[in-house]
Amino acid sequence: MASNRREFLKASLGAATLVSFSPAVPSFLSRSVAAAAGRSDGRDTVLVVVQLSGGNDGLNTVVPYHDETYAKSRPTLRMPPDEVHKIDSDLGFHPRMGAFMRLYQEGLLSVVQGVGHPNNDRDHNGAMRDWHTARPGEAACQTGWLGRTIDGLFRTDEGNVPGVFVGPIAQPFGLNAERAIVPSVRSLQQWRLQAMPGPGGQTHRRQLVEAAKSPREGESSPLLKFVQQSTLAAYAGSEQIETVARAGTSAEAAGYPGFSLARDFHTVAQLIRADVGIRVYFTELGGGGIGGFDNHANQLGNHCAVLHQLSESVAAFVDDLVRDKLADRVLLMTFSEFGRTVAENGRRGTDHGAAAPVFLAGGRLKSGLIGPHPSLTDLDNGAQKFHTDFRRVYATVLDRWLGLDSQTVLGEKYEPLDVLRV
Amino acid sequence: MSTRTQAPAGPNDSQGPDRPPAGNPADPQWAWAPYEPDDNRPWNLALAGHLYRRAAFGADGDQLQQAVADGPQRAVEMLVSPQTAVADFHRSYDGYEASANADALRAWWLRRMIQTPHPLLEKMTLFWHNHFAATGVRVNNAPMMRDHVQLLREHALGSYPPLLEAVSRDPALLVSVGADENRKAVPNENYARELMARFSLGPGNFMEEDIREAARAFTGWRVLRNQLRYFPADHDPGVKRILGREGKFDGDDVVEIVLQEPATPRLLVRKLYRWLVSETDEPSEALVVPLAESFAKDYDVAKLVETILRSNLFFSPAAYRQRIKGPVEFALGIVRGLEGMVPTANLGNDLAALGQNLYRPPTVKGWEGGRFWLNGATLVGRSNLAAALLSGAKPYGEKLDPLAVAGKHGHATPEAAARFLVDLFLQGDLDEGVAEALSKTATTGEGSPAERLRRFAHAVVTLPEFQLA
Repeated sequence: MASNRREFLKASLGAATLVSFSPAVPSFLSRSVAAAAGRSDGRDTVLVVVQLSGGNDGLNTVVPYHDETYAKSRPTLRMPPDEVHKIDSDLGFHPRMGAFMRLYQEGLLSVVQGVGHPNNDRDHNGAMRDWHTARPGEAACQTGWLGRTIDGLFRTDEGNVPGVFVGPIAQPFGLNAERAIVPSVRSLQQWRLQAMPGPGGQTHRRQLVEAAKSPREGESSPLLKFVQQSTLAAYAGSEQIETVARAGTSAEAAGYPGFSLARDFHTVAQLIRADVGIRVYFTELGGGGIGGFDNHANQLGNHCAVLHQLSESVAAFVDDLVRDKLADRVLLMTFSEFGRTVAENGRRGTDHGAAAPVFLAGGRLKSGLIGPHPSLTDLDNGAQKFHTDFRRVYATVLDRWLGLDSQTVLGEKYEPLDVLRV
Repeated sequence: MSTRTQAPAGPNDSQGPDRPPAGNPADPQWAWAPYEPDDNRPWNLALAGHLYRRAAFGADGDQLQQAVADGPQRAVEMLVSPQTAVADFHRSYDGYEASANADALRAWWLRRMIQTPHPLLEKMTLFWHNHFAATGVRVNNAPMMRDHVQLLREHALGSYPPLLEAVSRDPALLVSVGADENRKAVPNENYARELMARFSLGPGNFMEEDIREAARAFTGWRVLRNQLRYFPADHDPGVKRILGREGKFDGDDVVEIVLQEPATPRLLVRKLYRWLVSETDEPSEALVVPLAESFAKDYDVAKLVETILRSNLFFSPAAYRQRIKGPVEFALGIVRGLEGMVPTANLGNDLAALGQNLYRPPTVKGWEGGRFWLNGATLVGRSNLAAALLSGAKPYGEKLDPLAVAGKHGHATPEAAARFLVDLFLQGDLDEGVAEALSKTATTGEGSPAERLRRFAHAVVTLPEFQLA
């Protein structure tokens, strides 16, 4: 891979040309140059966020399989003890999450239990907005926490792309930024410089680069120089992505299952490999809105399916990263707008609740189960009580993983969790 | 089309003994005086192109020729007050928008921008859309957003006080800023804050106390079922102290008060400067104050815009190519230049992907614009959009035909057609060496003449030079 990058840089742009062209070379390119030269820069950690839309029933995801209250509260929905994947003597993963069990055993998956926040909104829109903005109750908040993160990471002189949404639905509000433009990636194709019709398309693409690169006689304005530099950097990034896409394997061949989320993870993995400076990836399962996790009736079949999709897709993604020695740079985290009620509702489903587990996956995790399993008897309006504010999870990810100041993004200081080996 | 002869002369060019002294861009007298071409600073194709990029969305060959023939003052006049019947045009489009959903609204507005006999009005409507930034991101209601932008258009070249008053009662805006409910018991500061910080005085020209008191003045208003309603029982009738004044103020009074402050016209002048003149430099106090003082007398937006567009400063290097085209300007410059029409529903979607989703600015602060338009994804996106527009294939179809347009203007050979396109899109603002290397692609290489010229056109509009407004 390193030699490919070296070849690419020489062939298409000439790293020396780009570096000598202007004083502010985009850092992803200087990193590539450094990497091509055999040096590595470990600073560029990556966060992959997975939104589970609809309110995931954590109680049937990480199951207290021996608990009497659990059994009594869920006559039709309970997971039998002999079917769950046992984490320990009390808890086990949902029967269809064998892949999560494996990741857990390999130390590549952790479970943060009892995550929520005070006065939580049990309305889909309000609750999801709270998780997106990290400012519960502030209905007029204009930005998402990841949008603010991206605004903090974007540098006009680099024209970098700090974060992207990967998926087919409308871009979630968590990414809403004030200034930076956050792309929605449907496929890597859109990052490729498209050819014009007719023969000579490849030559044409080379000409585009040449035309942007050629020195202009006389003194160009600073603004023109800026645009020239930005254009070349964009073309370089596009080339890097295309190289990875060409050299890489298809999702199928790389072991990803046929689920939409898995395909999105494959795209994410490709973009990580392309090393163009994207730090934040946002993906989604459930279709957004009042999503597929919102099982008020006949929960069993639906929930089995989405949990299976989740665990198989995440496992394929993590395995792919491990194979390419990228897992140490990646932290994946799931979230959902709320958990569900402990008791089922008489329609073989559950209603909107409060606390639920957050899953973390990646190569630098500490221990498996973080925090106690919330009580099934001491409830908050029929739902399990939270003990870990979700903004602590966000602070952990911002401070300890991305190396940013969480207080700037979240507005307040939240104590990070000790869940990472960094 | 006549090829351009020379770059607009800078104010510090050396002069002969008989030539009048060039002006000083820092001197407001010179800066805002109407531009009169002379040998030092001749009127030419480049300046005509500049005018059309700023006051419209680019121009076609005929418009550029006409502007060169008319001279700057008449060309500006034609853009500020077009001769053709504009009212009927807008009535038709308002009709099309009557039952439009969000995507259709976006498509209609783009179509209106392309077809309008009064592009300056649309450019100013877009300016106000960026200034007030009610947004579909928070207002999930197409008719409300439609009404909002139609309101902006109505006042776009009118007077600021009625516009500000109307916006203060606009449900789309109030919902966007989170001011849909403001009761005596729980005063809501959200509108007062935006009003003072961004629609009038600007940061540093008011205190938190002023916002709190202004919030009380605006109590009683609530957006219910998409309509703004006033509940007298919820209004705080007491005395408020705002910006040194005291009285039993209501919302209208607050609007009147902020309009009386000199900081307000200054904020608007600065914003218009960034929109029309330059993004690369902040105007000095010396430049802002005279315009602001004049604007404060009648708040006549058309007059202010016209003063700027006619001015020496506008036609000087201080303004020339000192902005970055937003996605709408980038795409429409291509479409207008090639005298065609494209399916604007697709275009609306593609422009959203480039960061400019009409009717949906990201926050109430509008689009940041400038250098923020350009990143590793949007620059590739611009090239790909241009390729789609120029390819002659679906979805944008065959209506943009560089060879046909060049031919129509009398440039039949590939060389002539190439020169025509460089004049059309760049007014010749291109290094000779680069232009020559590129024009070889139009005249030699694989494919039919039409295909080669399409590729050439694509190469021209993806140049860094073309990104500059």
